Amino acid sequence: MVKIISNNDLSEAKKEKLALLDFSATWCGPCSMLAPVLQELSEELDGKVGVYSIDVDQNPSLAIDYKIMNIPALVLLKDGEKVGMTVGFQPKASLEKFIEEHK
Amino acid sequence: MDRYDIAIIGTGPAGVSAAITAKVRNKNILLFGSRKSSEKVYRATQIQNYPGLPQISGEELAEQYQKQLDQLGIAVTEERVSAVYAMGSYFVIQASGKMYEASSVILAAGVVQGKTFPGEKELLGRGVSYCATCDAMLYRGKTAAVIGYTKEAEHESEFLAELAEKVYYLPMYKEEPEITEKAGKIQIIREKPQAITGADQVEILQTDKGEYHVDGVFILRDSISAEQLVPGLEIEDGHVKVNLQMETNIPGCFACGDVAGKPYQYVKAAGQGNVAALSAVNWLTRQRLGKQQSGIITK
Repeated sequence: MVKIISNNDLSEAKKEKLALLDFSATWCGPCSMLAPVLQELSEELDGKVGVYSIDVDQNPSLAIDYKIMNIPALVLLKDGEKVGMTVGFQPKASLEKFIEEHK
Repeated sequence: MDRYDIAIIGTGPAGVSAAITAKVRNKNILLFGSRKSSEKVYRATQIQNYPGLPQISGEELAEQYQKQLDQLGIAVTEERVSAVYAMGSYFVIQASGKMYEASSVILAAGVVQGKTFPGEKELLGRGVSYCATCDAMLYRGKTAAVIGYTKEAEHESEFLAELAEKVYYLPMYKEEPEITEKAGKIQIIREKPQAITGADQVEILQTDKGEYHVDGVFILRDSISAEQLVPGLEIEDGHVKVNLQMETNIPGCFACGDVAGKPYQYVKAAGQGNVAALSAVNWLTRQRLGKQQSGIITK
């Protein structure tokens, strides 16, 4: 389950041991391609990594806080702190590798 | 949307060979490229080492490709592929703004000669982007530079200028850009870009004549590297890494011809195209059987 963040509220994600934040927008093609891949990933990582979707138009402050210049952008939080970031569509295997490398 | 069995990207000897083999094996294929094969093929004056075709010229070979594709009823979709998304059990191919679906993909797009700017790779995703329409909204009130290699880049920079505070357009071709100056927001700069610098994000675009303070640099090239085209693809020594079955690291994705490495030879490309197509066919069969076993399909 990908959890949707609104109102720039990152409190739940920050409480998790590991959280993957997906910064995206409705007008971004690669973002829509990434969405189903993240759904699959969230199901597989259920209990280990929380996956959150952040629409940059709905959450502008968060986009600024994390200096998002290109989307989709994936930020990995460990105990609430940013430990890694990657940009652009990636297949599930690449995302799994990204999480392994930065967690 | 119809899902094709195999999408083949490229109509040089590798792509054409793959298409012919796949068609003969009765697969529903989608072939992207040019009906006139590839420019490189045309430039070959004489090919000495193609068995059965002694001293054939590139032009004659391209004509024969067209004839054979026509005879087999293989259409060529003349659209530029800009992205291939590996979704897991299928692929989405983005070309000229349209999305196509295929169960497998064969990359036969050849080699790309361009080189990257210093700072380009390091700052990719932190201000360096290859798609102005994708990221334009994030540049509201900001300054961007666009390095355009084709006329298409002009449209993208105009779109960007609607949202950005200022756009510097650096054409990398001789023709005069036809850009409406958008109330002074677009400035055409006839300088050679040299490097992109910045600590954490893009800050400056250096040219041979000066420096520009920008929040982002969009590099819109004509051709695209395999790495950029298919996110997640494993590259080795500048080529797509393949095994003897032409399999890449992404299941269902195969590569053949120059894109898969040296030697850059017609007969090698054609041979690899054949192998890639047969590997794709085998892969499709295994996928189908796998689904049958889990009761998803009954045929």
